[in-house]
Amino acid sequence: MGRATNRQIVEKLRNGDRKGAGHLVDAYQDRLISEAVSIFHIDSLDAEELVSDVLLSVIQKIDSFEFTKSDGDFHFWVMTIFRNRIRDHVRHETLKGGLMERFEESALENDQEYSGTELEVVRAVVRQYESSLHSSERSADDPRTVPGKLHVIAETLDAMETWERVLLRCRALDVPYEDISHYTGKPVSQLKVYHQRVRKKFVKLLSEHYPELAIS
Amino acid sequence: MKRGSIDRLIQLAFLEGDITTHGLYEQTAARRHPRTPASAKARRELLEKLEVSLKARQSTIAAPVTLGSFLRKAKTEHSFTTSEIVSKVGISANIYRMLEQDRLSPLKISVVSWKRLIRFFDVPTDMLAEMIRRTYQLVFFAPSYRTTLARYKQEKSRAKKFQVLEAAARELYARADLVLPPEEEQKLSDFIKTITG
Repeated sequence: MGRATNRQIVEKLRNGDRKGAGHLVDAYQDRLISEAVSIFHIDSLDAEELVSDVLLSVIQKIDSFEFTKSDGDFHFWVMTIFRNRIRDHVRHETLKGGLMERFEESALENDQEYSGTELEVVRAVVRQYESSLHSSERSADDPRTVPGKLHVIAETLDAMETWERVLLRCRALDVPYEDISHYTGKPVSQLKVYHQRVRKKFVKLLSEHYPELAIS
Repeated sequence: MKRGSIDRLIQLAFLEGDITTHGLYEQTAARRHPRTPASAKARRELLEKLEVSLKARQSTIAAPVTLGSFLRKAKTEHSFTTSEIVSKVGISANIYRMLEQDRLSPLKISVVSWKRLIRFFDVPTDMLAEMIRRTYQLVFFAPSYRTTLARYKQEKSRAKKFQVLEAAARELYARADLVLPPEEEQKLSDFIKTITG
């Protein structure tokens, strides 16, 4: 039996058909857990719980979803719910225990060392992020409505060439070089060779937002 | 895969919505083979949870009591799109969405639009009158529930939170039938008469 299409899943869920829940789990449980663990470094037990929340939200909000272009609309909608849930988890973890330690732990696990500049710049951005989270928590605002917590990253990327920007954004999310090549028109070999160089350029540009660090 | 701190920062900006990959990440995620399959037990447990949620959802939409629940149900049953409904009824998409979420007073919609809606959905007028009444009550009393919720959220101690809830419960019991103030009741009855008469 073939896998159900997204339209079939949506229709079944709207009709309260339990097969719809089965199809949803088949299509998304493993996929989202895997993304949460391997791309966003979420602990596997937390990832299971988080994905369960995401799929429950899908069922609860299914009436507000509409196909506008294609069958793929549903996938993009589920991924938006997933991304928001991961963001809330990261914010919660950041408020609870600090983000920098987690970055350093994962760098150690990956056997990577920070360069002095990188460490300073990353710390400065993380400090800024943590403080914006704390201040939005202290204020009565809903944290989801406070925009531009990491605007400095967007600004720095905007100052780079389009292909460099796409390369950095996409590789951070493990998009294959082949797809980036297709999108940017640059050969895969060039993207692979230049990735590290582009990353260094990004750190240098990012450091310019923090003159107080006085990085040479 | 090895991922450095710079990649983690960029990821964070992506999660916060400050940057986008123009759908490339979502497309990749759809194609990527899962690296960590969930156990059979985890799958079973999740499925049970989802089925319970599906059942609860069905029971709440079985009998539409407000305009929002009626519109959502009718839209699904007849596979109508929002644009189809708004063009037939003659209201904007934003207004329609607010109606669907029971966030708008029915009195804000013109009589002409209500008559078109009755024709489009072929809804009995007494049923529509009842739904308009319920929705109007819901919209009228919603701010006091929001205030209670805000007070509840503001309180830090559990004892204070409990007091807020107790006061809210007393208030709710005192007006369990949600009777509208006389002038509001008159306004609503007149409006319903214009639509259904």
